[in-house]
Amino acid sequence: MMFPVRCFTCGAPIGHLWEEFKKRVEVGEDPGKVLDELGIKRYCCRRMFLSHVEISYEILNFPKVS
Amino acid sequence: MEINVLEKNPLKLRLYIKNIPLHILNSVRRVMIAEVPTMAIDSVVFTMNSSVFYDEYIAHRLGLIPLTSEKALEKYKSPEECREAADRGLFTEDCFVKLDLEGKGTGEGLVTLYSGDLKTSDPDVRPVYDKIPIVLLANNQEIRLEAYARLGRGKEHAKWSPVSVATHKYVPLIHIREELCKGEECRKCIEICPKDIFELKNGKLAIKQDKILDCTLCRICEEACPYNAIRINWKENEYILTIESTGALPPKKILLEAIKILENKIDDFIESLKREGVVK
Ligand code: SF4
Ligand code: SF4
Ligand SMILES: [Zn+2]
Repeated sequence: MMFPVRCFTCGAPIGHLWEEFKKRVEVGEDPGKVLDELGIKRYCCRRMFLSHVEISYEILNFPKVS
Repeated sequence: MEINVLEKNPLKLRLYIKNIPLHILNSVRRVMIAEVPTMAIDSVVFTMNSSVFYDEYIAHRLGLIPLTSEKALEKYKSPEECREAADRGLFTEDCFVKLDLEGKGTGEGLVTLYSGDLKTSDPDVRPVYDKIPIVLLANNQEIRLEAYARLGRGKEHAKWSPVSVATHKYVPLIHIREELCKGEECRKCIEICPKDIFELKNGKLAIKQDKILDCTLCRICEEACPYNAIRINWKENEYILTIESTGALPPKKILLEAIKILENKIDDFIESLKREGVVK
């Protein structure tokens, strides 16, 4: 789904950094370096960024059933 | 007791504390995680949600957004009172801050609603970060909701915990027996230490004094040493306390609040002992 508001493991807020991370990685910057500069130190938080798949764009194409 | 500040910035506080019993420090730490109140969204009323996301999903995201809480601690009623009020459906002003969110998808591209789009009824309680995406809206999809934030404690739900990290760790004591150490010929511990704590100085093994506090006491160096020349130990009654705030409260405030709450708990305990006639 969408990028999580907080790290699953430690609970640190990370959601506000996602768009900058995404933008900078898309233009070819090294993800590890971007995370360092954003101040993401622990590996629990770092994997949140590195392993995230934005499937919400696909979900937007389907109607909601409730 | 002796306290040195190792690191201090708006979100983080690291203290080197000497001569404190571990159980006291640990009590304070646990109170910081589970008892110090902060503001967080707890009830959400949707008047319109035609997005592809379920109400619960959006409400959950809203709940996790840290809200500034320093002034709220004095302004609003206690977590226990407000929880009861919410159970009875009373969203009163002495307990709840209302945050409104509205948005509609347009024809061109996707619209993202951010935490900064939340309109708060109390400027002292607002999202700490403005750029947290809450929901995505495609063409003509619409969101209208009222979110109610109240004080709560980490033991009820982790979203109310003011800290993302609250730890204490031992202070390492690294002992190298120079008569056994082969230094330059060996170098095993220098290569293997994950925190890069050793170095060679004039052909002899030395500890980087500015890095010694990084040692995690993992003892990999001890195991790797073929000559048994290294011993890892820790100092008695010396600890490093690390607090990392979510932004809801400054670290200093979290520590002081925790001590206050712990003090009150002990006072309560003494009171009950007296009331029950166990002590006079
Ligand atoms: S215990 Fe671990 S971190 Fe500490 S010096 Fe040895 S290898 Fe390095
Ligand atoms: S591994 Fe042991 S012998 Fe080798 S340099 Fe380190 S302390 Fe000395
Ligand atoms: Zn984390």
